[in-house]
Amino acid sequence: MANHPQERQAEINLEDLLRLKRSERPSDQFWNEFDQELHQRMLQTLVKKDPWYLQLMRGFSGRILQNTALAAAAVVIGVVLVRPAFQPMASSTGAIAMDSAAVVPSGNTAMAGLMYGSDLDAVASELSMTDYYADAISVETNSDDVNFIRDFEMESMQVASYDASVYMTESAQARVSFASAGVASLVY
Amino acid sequence: MATTDSVSKAFAPAQDAPLTERDLDWAVVQRVQAGNVAAFDQLVQKYREHIFSVIYNMTSNREDASDLTQETFIKAFQAIARFKGKSSFFTWIYRIAINSTMTFLKKRSRRRYISYENINEEVHSTDIIESLTAKNRSEKGAIVHELQEKLNDSLQKLSPKHRTVVVLHEIEGLSHVEIAEITKASVGTVRSRLHYAKQQLQSYLQDYLG
Repeated sequence: MANHPQERQAEINLEDLLRLKRSERPSDQFWNEFDQELHQRMLQTLVKKDPWYLQLMRGFSGRILQNTALAAAAVVIGVVLVRPAFQPMASSTGAIAMDSAAVVPSGNTAMAGLMYGSDLDAVASELSMTDYYADAISVETNSDDVNFIRDFEMESMQVASYDASVYMTESAQARVSFASAGVASLVY
Repeated sequence: MATTDSVSKAFAPAQDAPLTERDLDWAVVQRVQAGNVAAFDQLVQKYREHIFSVIYNMTSNREDASDLTQETFIKAFQAIARFKGKSSFFTWIYRIAINSTMTFLKKRSRRRYISYENINEEVHSTDIIESLTAKNRSEKGAIVHELQEKLNDSLQKLSPKHRTVVVLHEIEGLSHVEIAEITKASVGTVRSRLHYAKQQLQSYLQDYLG
């Protein structure tokens, strides 16, 4: 270029130069082609189906998202509220629940319940065995059942002093002695 | 400049006229939302040159600008049913254009093709060009081409965010507030970016500015 830029500098500032960019405008021919292409592409969008992931994203942004959130919340609430009812109180080795159908005699209506948790805690702490304890032992029977004997003495407590690793269901049944059939529940 | 004036009208206060540009645009949008798809063409005709100008000055590429301008209107068309009118259509369509261009520029970061748009004839009558070619009118074309190249090159040296602010303010003539609304940045951020960008451009174009 023949002219030296320094010769022009006094009259021109940055804003003037940038304003020149406004003049870079396409011709009418360009806009005619532009309009045709745009209309073509817009028509294609009306016919063309979006990819599955776009539909999914769009769906999640609306009602599906709300329903999914509600369902997730219901599941969480259900897990938090219902699950503890099915969980053992201690989780060391498992739980023994004697089958009530096998031991509850028909016609028994009275219920006797004995809680030994605190006593067993003492025993367990003494023996340094905190991995199990008897939660409750209850017996259902008629008051006029002459064969019913409340026998929840040391036999049943012996269970608690046994090591959990060698503890067996049979021994629990043997030690929770009933003259009459009843319900025994041992949790350790 | 006529284009700048028409763009600025979109932000004119309501008391200046019974119906603002924003109101008029919103009326057209509602017609489109009601099923009158052809009404969308009015919005295309109104904003296509502004959008093209922004994208062209962001990309410095004619073909890319054309594609991205079309993409902008297609995106707007696809999403117009969800447009609630919380912002003006003007702001909304500019935002789509800027976001599309930003995404494109990230992908294109390692490639840079510059193709020039023809400078409109009217520019040759401006004082700027006259000043540049004062010494020798026979070099007008060469001077214009050289300056065009230098301007595009300088703009491309800026980061996309700084370039956006410069393009919207210095070329499109939008206010700081309008740019802040479009870019979702604070007015202070816009001013800061503009100041920094102009400093950079001053250094790049030093030969022409002194």
